[in-house]
Amino acid sequence: MNLPTKLLLGALFLGISTGAQAQLTWEKTEIELNPPAGAESAVATFKYENKGTTPINIKAVRTSCGCTTAALKKNDVAPGEKGEITATFKPGDNVGVLQKTVTVETDDAKTPQTVLTLKANITQMLVLQPNFVFWQANEDPKPKTIVATAGKGVTIKSLEVTSSTPDFTTKVEPGAAAGEFKIIVQPRETSHQINANLTIKPDSSVSPGKVFNASARVIPGAT
Amino acid sequence: MISLLRQCLLILGLALLPAAGQALYLRDKVSWQSPIPASEMVTVANARGWGSDAIWLDARTAEDFEKEHVPGALLLNGERWNELLPQVLANWSPEKRVVVYCSAVGCGSSREVARRLRQEAELKNVFVLEGGWEAWLAEKK
Repeated sequence: MNLPTKLLLGALFLGISTGAQAQLTWEKTEIELNPPAGAESAVATFKYENKGTTPINIKAVRTSCGCTTAALKKNDVAPGEKGEITATFKPGDNVGVLQKTVTVETDDAKTPQTVLTLKANITQMLVLQPNFVFWQANEDPKPKTIVATAGKGVTIKSLEVTSSTPDFTTKVEPGAAAGEFKIIVQPRETSHQINANLTIKPDSSVSPGKVFNASARVIPGAT
Repeated sequence: MISLLRQCLLILGLALLPAAGQALYLRDKVSWQSPIPASEMVTVANARGWGSDAIWLDARTAEDFEKEHVPGALLLNGERWNELLPQVLANWSPEKRVVVYCSAVGCGSSREVARRLRQEAELKNVFVLEGGWEAWLAEKK
């Protein structure tokens, strides 16, 4: 038997053996989300349909991280039945473009595993640049500035900044542009080590009560 | 000649199947981002050589960190950045080098943590551990 005949027979066998089959078809396997700045979660809905002639059992749904959960209403999908998997991503303090996946395992021999991808573009509510200021021991205690800028689409009326220690003074001034603030930080002295946490509370309708942190330190000289 | 060419194509096609399968299976475990510049990477041996001049940061999840971590390492990940960063900065000093690691499989979070430390906190000498946690485990043995 020559090679083309073998290939033809193989294809024929494959065609016959898959005559009655399950087929879970996904409307989209990749969804991009652009939640507003400060959003605590982003939800993607992956819709499916069993376009085959036999039932399908969804055996498992796994997510790529603890920050993503996936909800499935029922595991058995009859022929012609439609359904959806809802993936909820909690970005926490992450920023930028994040990619998470949901892996769906079924008893469909043809496609036992499908990877669904969720891309989320996370915008920061408040950007602190830098979020850390420091002075070396015995350095001139000149003030240093942290620029706080409201994220895209966020309106911040004012900022309240408090230092965890009275060794640092803080002052907030308006910045060069709208939605920008200057946080001026100054140590009272630099003769000894000081660690301070600066708590920054923006007055905004977005995520009311959300608090941001910056750090200020006087660092002892290298030993 | 044509038969030989056909057989070569068939072999190539057969080789492509498992490769495509593996790529699909590992798509969420492999970093598809551009490679990290060599100057921003450090091997386990070199990082260990820095001794107490290095601050080790674990960019994995809190659960993984609780199970086991590099002795002395601090937890810092994107999910709890705001809460965890102050303790890292409280341990930092200008002469120290920062070594960030996560799990080598899909190790995107260590480079993200390193990027944020450089950009947001303006720290210098921040490195990503080559091979991540698994490389450290292998070296420990």
